[in-house]
Amino acid sequence: MDILFILSNAVVLTCIYGMLAIGISITWSSVGLINLSYGFIFAFAGYGAWYAAQALSENGAVVLAAGVLCGALGGVVVCALAFIPIHDKPNFTLRGLIATLAISLIGTQSLMWWFGPRSKNLPEIFGSWSVMVGDTALTADKIGNVLTSIAFVAAVVLWMRSSRRGLEIRAMMMNPHAASIVGIDVRSTGFYVMAITGGMAGLAAVLLSQTYYISPFGGLTPMIKGVSIALCGGLGSVQGAVIAAAILGLNEAVTSELLGGQYVLITQFILIIAILLVRPRGIAGILDRAREA
Amino acid sequence: MTERDAVLQVKGLSAGYGPLRVIHDLDLIVHAGERVGLVGLNGHGKSTLFYAIAGLTGWQRGSIRLNGVEVGRTRSQGPGRYTHLVVRQGLALIPQGDEIFHGLTVEEHLDSGAFTPLAWKERASRKERVLDIFAPLRKLMRIPVGRLSGGERRMVSIGRGLMADAALFLVDEPSLGLAPKIGKGVMDALIAVDLGQSAMVIAEQNVALLEGRVDRVIGMHAGKLKGEASAAMPFQTARHA
Repeated sequence: MDILFILSNAVVLTCIYGMLAIGISITWSSVGLINLSYGFIFAFAGYGAWYAAQALSENGAVVLAAGVLCGALGGVVVCALAFIPIHDKPNFTLRGLIATLAISLIGTQSLMWWFGPRSKNLPEIFGSWSVMVGDTALTADKIGNVLTSIAFVAAVVLWMRSSRRGLEIRAMMMNPHAASIVGIDVRSTGFYVMAITGGMAGLAAVLLSQTYYISPFGGLTPMIKGVSIALCGGLGSVQGAVIAAAILGLNEAVTSELLGGQYVLITQFILIIAILLVRPRGIAGILDRAREA
Repeated sequence: MTERDAVLQVKGLSAGYGPLRVIHDLDLIVHAGERVGLVGLNGHGKSTLFYAIAGLTGWQRGSIRLNGVEVGRTRSQGPGRYTHLVVRQGLALIPQGDEIFHGLTVEEHLDSGAFTPLAWKERASRKERVLDIFAPLRKLMRIPVGRLSGGERRMVSIGRGLMADAALFLVDEPSLGLAPKIGKGVMDALIAVDLGQSAMVIAEQNVALLEGRVDRVIGMHAGKLKGEASAAMPFQTARHA
């Protein structure tokens, strides 16, 4: 058993799933939407990146940028369809759930209809070099995946901490009611949130495409993992999502090495259930030292 | 005083939640530079009146003019949908029970109150002004609000309201839930705020805290305004008049 190999896989998975979980977590806590169309945005951005690679250039930066932009576009469309018309109506949470589910079903079928059921693969973004650490090869896509996703999430977090728009989003995440009292426009902030989280899904799609193919339903498993990590981390907490992603990424890498890939979801859900039994608010419940208002 | 210098002019306002009607055809005028006390028991519509002015009730109808601009609208749903527009017209609502952002630091919290472009540009000097009023916050600027005591939170909540470029401050029960001494300190700070051309309405159950310190006191009962007393006249007399 190669510990370094397992660890490097765990870190890669942590980064990608962590990004998805942060996106889902931020969406839930700021606009109050459990975005079930996140998997569709993921697949949509993957196809966007594929199209850019065909039509524009196979350059890695172009493909990445196309993925992020298509993801952001997908997020904006979902916001316009599933948030703006219903966010101030009764039972918004349930209606939002159904609306995003509908978008997801219609969207993935449209992708299937448009691009056909055959999966596509993207060009190698980070080249095909590798670094040897001991006996283990760290391939370019592993290193690239980790660095790119950390850089993107760090940029988003920094922007949320330093800009005025970021302050609005964080305020909305903590207390949407008070946010409208201080004059924050929930609707325009919602577009920003959905564009950013959509961009995260888009980036994750391109990064994960270095391992898997792009297919109309390819976003489903990443979304399920993202949602479960977000729940495990405590919805609304970025730190919680990162820690949960690290735990579950490690679990996935260890399980696929020791038991085999088909057991990953089983051990993952056992782990999540165990964590939520002990800490019903997820990992954020341990981190949060604020008193409940 | 004429209607021209009215900061707030409410006419025929009714508001409530679902089938419940809390405010009944209410009229109210507040003039520039005025500090008004609004007293009444729990559940008689003080907070709902403030929420209706901010567009946060379940439904509402009637006219609300803020500095002459109509901000009231007939709504059957969508609480909070237009609140940011009312805030941009110059409303600062300081709600009951500290609607705070528990993870933001005190400083970020004050920044979040400086919403209009002008207030945002001037936020450094405005923060200084708020800190002059609430000196204890100066040491706490980098602490998340969720870790503060009740009195400190109330200061942050009121300070956030004072950061705004507001024409009208609506302060809901500033002393609620605080130790009497701290509650009095908070009220002293509110009385000390220089209003200029703006106006302030303070809802309060503890009449003794307001007596003789505001320009007039209005009673509220069952969703309607009852009686009015000037500061010189003790409230008790006015109520029985």
